[in-house]
Amino acid sequence: MSDKKIKISLLDIFGFIITGAVIFLAIFGEFIVPYDPTMVTNTVSKGPPPFSSWPSLLWDVFVNDLPSPHWFGTDSSGLDVFSRTIAAVRTDLIIAFSANIISASLGVFLGVILGYFRNILTEALLRLFDLLQSFPVFITAMILVALAGRTWVNIILAMSLLYTPIYLRLTRTEVLSLVNRGFIYASRVSGKTEFYIAIRHILPNALGPSLVQFSITIGFAILLTAGLSFVGAGVRPPTPEWGSMIASGAGQLVLGDWWPSVFPGVATSLTVFAFAVCGNFIEKNYDR
Amino acid sequence: MWKFLIKRLLLALFQITFLVIAVFFLIRLLPADPVSRFVGMNASKEAYLQAEMSLGLDRSIGKQFQGFLLGDKNSLGLISGDLGKSWVSGEEVTQEIKKFLPVTLELITLAFIFAAGISIPVGLWGAANPGGIADKGTMVYSLFAGSQPEFSWGILFIFIFFVYFGIAPGPLGRLSPLTEAPIVITGAITIDAILAGRFDILLEALWYLTLPVLTLAFVLSGPIIKMVRENLIQALQADYILYARASGISSMRVARDALRVSISPTITLIGILFGYMIGGAVLIERIFSISGIGQYSINSILAFDYPAIQGVVLTISSITLLIFLIVDILHALVDPRIKL
Repeated sequence: MSDKKIKISLLDIFGFIITGAVIFLAIFGEFIVPYDPTMVTNTVSKGPPPFSSWPSLLWDVFVNDLPSPHWFGTDSSGLDVFSRTIAAVRTDLIIAFSANIISASLGVFLGVILGYFRNILTEALLRLFDLLQSFPVFITAMILVALAGRTWVNIILAMSLLYTPIYLRLTRTEVLSLVNRGFIYASRVSGKTEFYIAIRHILPNALGPSLVQFSITIGFAILLTAGLSFVGAGVRPPTPEWGSMIASGAGQLVLGDWWPSVFPGVATSLTVFAFAVCGNFIEKNYDR
Repeated sequence: MWKFLIKRLLLALFQITFLVIAVFFLIRLLPADPVSRFVGMNASKEAYLQAEMSLGLDRSIGKQFQGFLLGDKNSLGLISGDLGKSWVSGEEVTQEIKKFLPVTLELITLAFIFAAGISIPVGLWGAANPGGIADKGTMVYSLFAGSQPEFSWGILFIFIFFVYFGIAPGPLGRLSPLTEAPIVITGAITIDAILAGRFDILLEALWYLTLPVLTLAFVLSGPIIKMVRENLIQALQADYILYARASGISSMRVARDALRVSISPTITLIGILFGYMIGGAVLIERIFSISGIGQYSINSILAFDYPAIQGVVLTISSITLLIFLIVDILHALVDPRIKL
């Protein structure tokens, strides 16, 4: 670490707040939602109350203990859009985080191995992963999920496979710049095994770029999760998920019912932007 | 130059060979049962076996691959440029791709022209005064645009411009359903309209393409602006620019040189994004009912149409590899520091 001062802009603060709120909602969202996100109500295609009436409605709910209105309206089957938008945070975040944790662990580990031990086998493996990157990401994800079955686990595994090469490349490049450093020679002279050096000395020092990448790729993964269910190749309804909510609301949109698709759309936009801002912040302040 | 070209072409050929193998086996390794998809869940054993045989899935996977490469009763084989027949429509996959690919290429080419036309000046504007208001504004914009879900913006644009203001056409495809499309020559409707001499159709096609192009250009402008800005700032601080300035070369000339150097990584980025977009325009095609390669791939994948899936992935990946090759060549032409 250098003694360079960390600069925080207004945008960064905005990003931190949204990211924090999103993570909070992913954990505690189910205790906040007024309606069961998968249970239909009797009110169908009802618009949200006008924003000017929100203060008095909030007063009614929290002080007068009246039943909660449909803050974001209801969709064409009577599901509460607000509850679903909040509940979907968990779906999208669990998928995005799991996929990134798996691909980052795998990618970093393989990156260290393929960068530190260089022979025909590791070189061939590297080329194999390169090839994986020339596949069209979205279409490949669709193929993997649709053919393997539209379950959470399959979506996570498909994304892990697609994102591993990103982390692998980043880590390997870093490893290559480390192998000839003095402390590696020192460790070798002191009689440590090659595998010990790779894991104990190379690995921790090669983590940096992947940590920067992590926040950026979380955003990609949320977009991919939403995109997959938008085309009907993601999590199955009625699981609350932003992409499938946007898709099912799109039909009503041309009739003027904007709320079923616009609210989850805004939620997606804000979330991925917040993660991009965080990624940008880490990138700016990461000292290599 | 020629040595470089041949080396690159050989590499691309090698990559495509592996791609063919990877795609073929990847699809078949996944636990999907296309046969029961076609005959239905409650089909009799005989019907199932018959369907399995007509799809050629009763053979061993090795025999299937041999048939795919060298030809069998359904196709001439990939060696002769035949990707087989679609299991759903019964049409030649190559014919269907020929029909759908130009539609997507037209859409994204227009989007890239639009995006680059906006992004390069904006990036330059930001870089002209690093740290200024314009620079900060463009930075926030590029971060925002570059992270956005294009499908939700597409829908928002439809709501604002079509439903609310009624100034844009509805998401009904490439032309109004009442207009007769021009004779298909290239498959790209704007070019076909020009070839047919129908400028009214050209205008209408452009009109229908406005919102999808705008949406894609918005998302694409993010990374392009960022790239132009960063590279130009870097180039302007380089020693050779300092030297050029010190030698008394006019500032216009210096700016032109810096721009030329900074444009070459931007070409690389645009190339990579273009390759990505051929498969990535899926969602926009879906929203605006544009029947391009993306829609075709969604339909094939959801229908477990293996020959079509193979065809789509191979086509898109090959184009991507070809673009990388072109980018490498362009790179060398623009940047005087690179020798082929």
